[in-house]
Amino acid sequence: MSDGIFSKFKEYSVAEFFKKNRQMLGFSGKVRSLTTIVHEYVTNSLDACGEAGIYPEIEVWVGADGEDRYRVKVRDNGPGIPKTHIGKALGMMLAGTKFNRYAQQRGQQGIGATGCTMYALITTGKPIRVSSSHEGKKIECEVGIDFKNNKPVITPISEGPAEGGKCGLEIEGVFGGVRHEKSAYGVYEYLRRTAIANPHATIIYNSPEGERFVFPKSVDLMPTKPAEVKPHPLGISAHDLIEKARGAPYQRISAFLQEEFTRVSLNKVKELQEAVPDVDLGKKPSEMSWEEAERLVGAFRKVKWIAPATDSVVPIGAEQVEKSLNSIIGPEYIFVTRRSPKIYRGGIPFMVEAALAYNGKGANGEILRFANRAPLLFDAGGCSITQAVKSIDWKRYGIKNLEEEPLSIFVHFASVHVPYTSAGKQSISDEEEVVDEIKNSVMEAARGLDRHLSGKRRVKEAAGKRAAILRYVGQLSKDMSELGGVGADAAKVKERLLKMVEGRYGAGGAAAEEEEGEAPEGEEGKKGKGRRAGDDAGEGEEEGELS
Amino acid sequence: MSDKAAFEKLEALGKNMLGQVRKDKSPTFETPLRSKSNVQFEEGLGYLRLGAKKEERTFLNVGQARTFMQTVSVANKTKKFVKEGLHTSIRGLYYQLKFSLGEDVDESLFEEQTESNVLVEDLEVALGVKREDLHLTTDRKGVVAGPMVVKDNFAGEETTIDCAKQGRSGWMIPSDVDNGMEFVEVEADYVLVVEKDALWQRLNEDRFWKKENCILVTPKGQASRGTRRLLRKLADKKLPIYVMTDCDAWGWYIYWTIKTGSMNLAYLGRDFSIPESRFLGVTMADIEKYDFLKKLTINAKQVDLKRAEEMLGYPWINRHKEWVGELKMVLKTKKKIEQDALQGERLTFVGEYVREKIGKKQWLP
Repeated sequence: MSDGIFSKFKEYSVAEFFKKNRQMLGFSGKVRSLTTIVHEYVTNSLDACGEAGIYPEIEVWVGADGEDRYRVKVRDNGPGIPKTHIGKALGMMLAGTKFNRYAQQRGQQGIGATGCTMYALITTGKPIRVSSSHEGKKIECEVGIDFKNNKPVITPISEGPAEGGKCGLEIEGVFGGVRHEKSAYGVYEYLRRTAIANPHATIIYNSPEGERFVFPKSVDLMPTKPAEVKPHPLGISAHDLIEKARGAPYQRISAFLQEEFTRVSLNKVKELQEAVPDVDLGKKPSEMSWEEAERLVGAFRKVKWIAPATDSVVPIGAEQVEKSLNSIIGPEYIFVTRRSPKIYRGGIPFMVEAALAYNGKGANGEILRFANRAPLLFDAGGCSITQAVKSIDWKRYGIKNLEEEPLSIFVHFASVHVPYTSAGKQSISDEEEVVDEIKNSVMEAARGLDRHLSGKRRVKEAAGKRAAILRYVGQLSKDMSELGGVGADAAKVKERLLKMVEGRYGAGGAAAEEEEGEAPEGEEGKKGKGRRAGDDAGEGEEEGELS
Repeated sequence: MSDKAAFEKLEALGKNMLGQVRKDKSPTFETPLRSKSNVQFEEGLGYLRLGAKKEERTFLNVGQARTFMQTVSVANKTKKFVKEGLHTSIRGLYYQLKFSLGEDVDESLFEEQTESNVLVEDLEVALGVKREDLHLTTDRKGVVAGPMVVKDNFAGEETTIDCAKQGRSGWMIPSDVDNGMEFVEVEADYVLVVEKDALWQRLNEDRFWKKENCILVTPKGQASRGTRRLLRKLADKKLPIYVMTDCDAWGWYIYWTIKTGSMNLAYLGRDFSIPESRFLGVTMADIEKYDFLKKLTINAKQVDLKRAEEMLGYPWINRHKEWVGELKMVLKTKKKIEQDALQGERLTFVGEYVREKIGKKQWLP
């Protein structure tokens, strides 16, 4: 993107531009558009509550309003929006508070809620109805957009004290060109997954069919607010660099680099200068040309850097994930990984949290993808998470056919910079380090699951063996006593044999048998042993390859 | 083996197992491994026998529990037979043991006779007894004629049998020639074993055994346990044993089973093999020697050639250069010949053939 295009772009109304390019905002396809609308509002609510330190309680209503027309209402218990900001928040593009901030965030460009307003206007001509209770005052109004001038159009309805001093925001709109569907792309699935990734929130969904789903809060701990961090030179593109340089208040590029980036010292600037002697690091950052930016970024890759600090990455937390999955999926077994942050592209810290939930309420073999706590519902095929999960040899972990097993695979990618594949922000690109880490995480969880499953199999096998042997005890006791001759008491022999069988195959006996390693020589014993030994060897090899 | 000895061996087996149970140990049955990998041939002994490898069967191993229980059942049942003095076949044993393990159990102690058959063999080898000692009879096969008098104590009666006075039918060899059998008079010079009953009848009609003072035996194909035991006993009386079979795979197999035992039945060991026996014919060399035989050969089948090749690989056969030469001839000419062909020229030739062979010591080891 060159300077020319960017300045031209400004001449048009941003709103006009997006009106023509609505698929960039996620408004492509009827089902997806409805999910996008709910996503924008719910994300805003979660963020607003997080900023204000409030445990979110978000209720969503979706109701039919004609063919391919739906009424969407979202109510939260957040701080509300002050009167002066309502227009900016809901009727003006690029007006959000998150733009140009380098910190881990849910990943909106600041056009979300306004985009919904725009979408309502385009498809039904109806403005959005807003009711905001903020600092004791309640304001109700309608919000539209003046597309030509990218300005909000506000029609006040009422104003007064907030009921019972409560705060919160309620947004309601009627949208056309949307469809409600009970699928992996629908609103229910979106909200269920949002609830999974946000166990500190209560989320309620009222479907068009009149059903009410409640995903209650499962942890009493607010998520840590992600810190704003300076970018690492290795995590930046020429475009990012020139953007950052544009408004930077420094006299020299050298100062700009040292102040605005982490790990850039005076010595490093010297090294950079040696790498690109014909780029003048003494001139103003705003004068940096596209070509110079490209060369600088090239130089960044040649210099040895200290890795960036990884504390900017905020995971959901293993305990939280576990509680959340227990609450929403209610599985028989959960394994959650606890791994440390890693770095990709040499300079961008990220962290993967993976969990496997076995035999719960989830769909068979479902892959629950998340980036910075936001569910990724679409573009599953092109996503690194899907690819990493599918590349695993699940048979090795006792999973014969992933699609047919009652297994939910949870993968959360947390980073200041998520490498999305496209502007739709629904899939993660195949950065090598990222794919490897996702695969390793899921495999770690799979090993946990394998232990659980083989433990279960052992108990089941032991029970089967116990039953098989028990039916022989009677006949054997009789024959053995007779064969041994006078004085042998069949009842006593039977009693002792039963005790022995229980000792080895009864409850608690199965484990003992395994530890003793007193594996049976028979057909069954051999099979069981062989399989496990082979598995372990294979796993070792795989790990060696990856590390 | 006396009934008392067999009875005591069975009871000792049970006592040992009960002792293990008293010590809270899984009761265990140990038997020499009967697979081919454990079959050995020792030159000094001249017969096939089992090596030192053992197989252990223990009740608490789920893969072995059923077989273990069955083994004890077979042992206990045969102990009863011995005690009651009654005999039955291995099929009779099977029917005695074929019953449900319980009203609510869909499983019988034995489902197939093959299950109990192998366990009888296990007991024989583990306890060092013969199945006949366990009062288990086998099908009778094999007929004898010649100067031999036997006292048979059976079903409470004693019968004296003169094998020289059995007319055209001969004396049928019983399944057990050890228990209750006494060989009071054996006045023969040698024993002649002919594979086929037809040839036996031919020689019997010629009163060949009377003229030659020999004992004429036919196993009627593969030798039964009773026949093999009888031959062993006769060899123990220092009688030379001469064997005549077809010159083909089946004939060789019959001879070598009599001589060294077979790999499948190696567990039987010395009691059932006669390393001293000699192979009279028919041989490949005979075809050259007796002109009329040349026209009476048959083309060897694949099975004959394959068998000949296998035999060349067995150390107990290829140690005899005479056999190596014989078998190589088979592979070369791809011919075989039946013993019946000896009657091709005249019916009485067989007798002359035998006399000449023995007289000129023209036998294979």
